[in-house]
Order: sequence, then structure tokens, then C-alpha cells
Amino acid sequence: MADTNQGHSQRAIVIGIGEYHTGAEPMTSIGLGSCIGLIMHDKILGIGGMAHIMLPESGGKRDRLGKYADTAIDILLQELSKKGSSKNMLQAKMVGGAQMFANFSGNLSIGERNIEAVRAGLKQKGISLKGEDVGGTKGRTILYCPANNFTISIRRADGTCSEI
Amino acid sequence: MALLTPTQMDALSELGNIGASHAATTLSQMLMGQIEMTVPLVEVVDLADIYKHVTDETSALVIFQMQGELEQGGYVIFIMPLSSAMRMTNTMLGMGDEERELNEMDESALNEVGNIMVSAFLDATAELLGVVMLPSPPVLVVDMAHAAIEQLLAEVAFDVNEVVFFHTKLTCDQYAINGDLVMLPEMNTLSRILELMDDLLKKHAC
Repeated sequence: MADTNQGHSQRAIVIGIGEYHTGAEPMTSIGLGSCIGLIMHDKILGIGGMAHIMLPESGGKRDRLGKYADTAIDILLQELSKKGSSKNMLQAKMVGGAQMFANFSGNLSIGERNIEAVRAGLKQKGISLKGEDVGGTKGRTILYCPANNFTISIRRADGTCSEI
Repeated sequence: MALLTPTQMDALSELGNIGASHAATTLSQMLMGQIEMTVPLVEVVDLADIYKHVTDETSALVIFQMQGELEQGGYVIFIMPLSSAMRMTNTMLGMGDEERELNEMDESALNEVGNIMVSAFLDATAELLGVVMLPSPPVLVVDMAHAAIEQLLAEVAFDVNEVVFFHTKLTCDQYAINGDLVMLPEMNTLSRILELMDDLLKKHAC
């Protein structure tokens, strides 16, 4: 992870592919394509976490906890609980899971599988999904500032911005 | 994944150099302008650091899968910032307006340029290695470069957390055009290429 100023007013921690972070600092994920930016937020404590998920299932691998939907949900919950969050205070949002182009292999879209895996994982843990901007064919860059509120700013390649 | 030895890095970078030089020459012929090429870099990049190499800048990406004797070999990608892509197709099609939207003509010009360059790149490297490497039909994506690459990484880096990233920058000052040629080999392909390079070096040593 590195500190970088991505044209936003405050410095945000960049969560690279397969990484995660929890705390009160601004966090960003750059150029989400088929990957998912999963955000969990605790509005009482004003902290949260972000993971940059690349694949739906770890299949038991523990090498990169943020890389897979199942392990990313677990580690965000664990880390936030260490920081004092109780599970029933946490809410989630997710962005990404696009299909940028037709697969060469003709496999089922990895973006779609990621979306489904995150939805199923959150449901299983009883975390409510408060907002999402998923699917489609366009990339997204996201910014989340836990100390302010649970707003996720989304920017697309054509320059349009939105919030969830 | 075992890290590459300095000799292997050198060998790969030389291989890339030959391929990229051929690609640069074809681009220069198509644009009828001088093309500068940086010395190709071979780097082992962690997934988490990909964003330092490929940004979320809106770009035109022409993506090819490496096919032929090295099946499902990975990808070769020609990435140009959108403004550069526009200037390039304007140069080729004899137009001047840079503020317009990309149209079908631009898209087919970009695909064609990518096709010719990547074919030259793969031909030159394959000839050296003594194998057949062919590009798949191109796929054109105009969006955030990092977002497009993610979908390729999901295939190439399914089991690993580092990718071998081969990268060279091509610039044409005359028309203010620049682009990146990137190769993302699949792990099996990479091992195969390294074997072939070893054989080649041994042959020359005799």
C-alpha cells in the first residue's frame, strides 16, 4: 500500500489488487474492472475497511486474504472487530465486477462471479448490503473516507462521477 | 513463483528488445515518422503494485492473446492514452479534430495498428526461439487501463501473486504520440520461453 494523492483533496491509502485496509483514513481503489471494491463501515466509530477483491473463492488459500471474496469478508470483519466494531453495527457496499470485454476463453464472466460471491458471503455473515454499483462494462475508481460518513465516491473513465 | 535470475532477466529483456524493435519499425512505417523506443524492462510485479505501472487514465488498449505452439500463452497489449490514440488515427486517416469521439474508423485503425505491431513483435521473438507464436484477433477496449488489465490478471495470476511484466515505451515526437507495449505471459509460457532461451544460449556457448 502506498500513500498517493489521486487528485482528491485529501491523501488516500491506495488499496492495490488483493490488498485490504481498515481504519479511519481515506482509502481508494484505482481502476476497478472485474475486481470488486468491498467496503465495510461502522458509523458509530467512524471507521471502516476496504478490500480489492480479484477472485470469488480462495479454495483454502491463505496467501492473500484480500484477493478472494470469502477471505476478504472474513479478514475485514476480524480486523474491524479488533478495532472495536461489533458485527451488527457494520454495513457493506460494493463497487466493480464489470466485464470490460468478451473473454478470450469464453468462460463465465469473472466480474459476475465476483459479485455473486460477495453477495453470498455477506448474506452468510448477516452483513447488510447498503449500496452497490456493480456490473456493466466500464471501469471505476472509488474513494471512501470513513471519518466523514459512509459515502463512496465513484469516478468512471469518461469523467462522470457519482456517489453511493 | 521462483524469482528470475539476473541472466534470465537479461535474456528476456533482450528477447523483448528484438520483438519491440520490430514492432517500433512497423509503427514508424505506418505513421511515416520517427519512433523512439525505451529499453524494454522486465519486472516481476506484485499484483498489489500493478496500479503503479498501469494507471486508471482513460486509454485505448488493443489486447491479443498469444496463441500458436504456446497455447493460452498469456497476453500482449498495446496501450495508448486516449489523446495519443486519437492523434495517431488522425495522422493515419488524415483528420485534424482531436475533440471528437472515437468512431468505427478509428477503432478499426487502432485494431490494425495493434495487429501489425503485435504480429511483428511475436514473429521476431518466435523466430529467435524457434517456435510459432501467433496473436489472436484483437480486442479493443477504451476505458481505464487498470480496469481492463484486471480481467487479464484474473486469468494469468489465478494461482500466483506476481506477474512478469514486460514493458517498453514507444514515442513519436513528431505527432506527440506515445504508447506502451506490455506482455503478460502465463506462467507455463514463461517457463517454456526461459527453457528455449537457455537452449539458445547453450548452443551459442558451444
